[in-house]
Amino acid sequence: MKKSPASTDVHGSTCKQSSAGLPTLAILRCENHGDLAGVLTRLRAVAPSLLPASLPRKVVIKPNLCDLVSWEAGVTTDPAWLPILAAELRAIRSDVQIVVIESDAVSAYKNSRSCDETYDRLGYREVARQHGIELVNLSKSESIEISLDGIPLPVLISELFLEEFYFISIANLKVHPYERMTAILKNSFGLLTDADVSPLHPYLSLMLSHLHRLCPPDLCIVDGRIGLEGQGPIIGDPVRMNSIIFSNDALAADVAACKLMMIPPEEVPHLRKVAADLGRNFPEIELPAGISPRSFAFDASGHDAIMVKFANRRLHRGSELFTNRWIDRFLRFKREPVKFATEAIPKLARRFHAR
Amino acid sequence: MPDRIRLGFVGVGPVVERYHLRAVRGVPEVQPAVVVDINEERARLFAQRQGIPLHTTRLHDLFGKVDLAIIALPNGLHAALSCELLSNGIHVLCEKPMARNVPECRAMIEAAQRGGVQLCIGHNRRFRNNFSLAKRLMEKGIFGEVTHIEAEEGSTADWQRSPAYFDPVQAGGGALIDVGIHSIDLIRWLAGEFRDVDYHGDGTSTTVESEAQLHFRMANGAQGKLLASRTRNLQQRIRITCSKGYLEVGLWGDNLRMRSNKGKAFQQFPYLDAYVSRRPPQDASFVLQLNNLVNAIRGEEKVLVDGVEGMAAVEVVTRAYGRSAPLHASPAEVSGGGQ
Repeated sequence: MKKSPASTDVHGSTCKQSSAGLPTLAILRCENHGDLAGVLTRLRAVAPSLLPASLPRKVVIKPNLCDLVSWEAGVTTDPAWLPILAAELRAIRSDVQIVVIESDAVSAYKNSRSCDETYDRLGYREVARQHGIELVNLSKSESIEISLDGIPLPVLISELFLEEFYFISIANLKVHPYERMTAILKNSFGLLTDADVSPLHPYLSLMLSHLHRLCPPDLCIVDGRIGLEGQGPIIGDPVRMNSIIFSNDALAADVAACKLMMIPPEEVPHLRKVAADLGRNFPEIELPAGISPRSFAFDASGHDAIMVKFANRRLHRGSELFTNRWIDRFLRFKREPVKFATEAIPKLARRFHAR
Repeated sequence: MPDRIRLGFVGVGPVVERYHLRAVRGVPEVQPAVVVDINEERARLFAQRQGIPLHTTRLHDLFGKVDLAIIALPNGLHAALSCELLSNGIHVLCEKPMARNVPECRAMIEAAQRGGVQLCIGHNRRFRNNFSLAKRLMEKGIFGEVTHIEAEEGSTADWQRSPAYFDPVQAGGGALIDVGIHSIDLIRWLAGEFRDVDYHGDGTSTTVESEAQLHFRMANGAQGKLLASRTRNLQQRIRITCSKGYLEVGLWGDNLRMRSNKGKAFQQFPYLDAYVSRRPPQDASFVLQLNNLVNAIRGEEKVLVDGVEGMAAVEVVTRAYGRSAPLHASPAEVSGGGQ
């Protein structure tokens, strides 16, 4: 993947005007982990275009609550973001409805994780009550089953995505056992309402690309105050990185996250897929002065085995679908040969011709 | 199983064989008890095959033996037979169209009131996944106000029908009342009442129309067109254009395509296809329809398509045909087997 130096405006401690239509990015230092309000104040100064000038009635915030682990472990999103963002959003539109979303999950490591329990135990419920924020468990919300190109399974998404809203995705800076890293784009996997998304894992890159198109964030926040190295995304050691990435573009935010973790974005399958599907190159990102990258330790044991197993599952599923389709055709031909000849064969011929 | 509802089939033609029988199997609270058909041999064979204890050619044999009857007969028989059953305290699920005209419908509603029983009209498609989802999303206001509607349903393939279906007096009409009434009911359900209708069809005084075209205006000002055909393969869908998007709902399959212009998911996707056709693989609408009626009989919910709703669809059809007066057909003139 080529890099395109002109495709992203990077803001650090000094302000640089964003060009119209270009992704905008700001990477800010945050030594004092309790001063998120101060970070937003600086963001307003260095990259005002990243904050919305106006808002629709609804704002949806998607934190990363992938496990029942406090944010200091580098695994989940700090609930302290909620009051800070709520104040910022209400200053723009006083009657804005702020909704936090997350789904239940069946973890590979534990049996299951209830989103409601996570809201309770990680402090989201209390913060939401205090600041008039609505918490939604997507797994309990009304959902629709949709079909997506290349995904041989029905995909359940919340009916919320049919509505208009401003979307803020808050992710962490983490390594991932088979995607190499996870940040904004991978955070969108939690938008699926099904608790058990494991059947979709073999199609993860494609799925994340679809999800990015289904629900593109308007504001991406990669909270790199504390990152996670090791195996990821819930197992590993916290790393103080003292940096926060803000962007209006998920791909740029994730490439910046790669930069901080010293992971080549080309090694991240879903970044390659999203960039290809968007017809874009990876943006060239220079870290601002005062922000140093760190090579995140990565436990790659089992990585290859998982990737081979996923490829095997894709192959099996693909061959099952292919075989079933031809069995159906054969049975239709056997039952009604004339009808098959007049209807199906020309249709097949057109399809082959189109290919 | 306690309190099973004893069921009588009135007419056991292809509609019962293909749809209602499966539905009855899917609702264990209902127990088939009697089969009635003008053709005794057909009634006997059906009862024998399905293990139903009684079969008869006389409607009166149902009295005291069943709590609920499914009427699947030619249109001209719907009102007379329903009224008799309803006024004798038997709940009725009557196939669509409810009747041939509004006075017949009104008589059925009054009979249900007299008998203190439930009357359900077989507009089963309201229970399909795609239509119930479309209804829910439209009620949420996701697509805005309805501005335009296009519906078309038609096919060259059809099952064998009795001659009554092609007789204007006995059938009350052709493609519009038989095929198009599904769309009329669904459009009413999703988009409100019809205001003006302008009908064109190829029927004559002796034959029903096989092609029907209805231009209409809804009470909210939305305009639309409905095509119904017994001779052409049409698209089998309703497309509802709204101020903030559109929906395309399959009339035969469970497909639903949608777009909400300002919806988050549609910033990059031109539309989404709701994937409701594979699970369950079969049309469950008849089961859900019967479930709804059973629950209504037990006082647990309301009938979704009651007599008033059924009559409203017939009223649109009769207005389209340009006659509001009843067709003058005495029960003696009416004949024919099951639907």
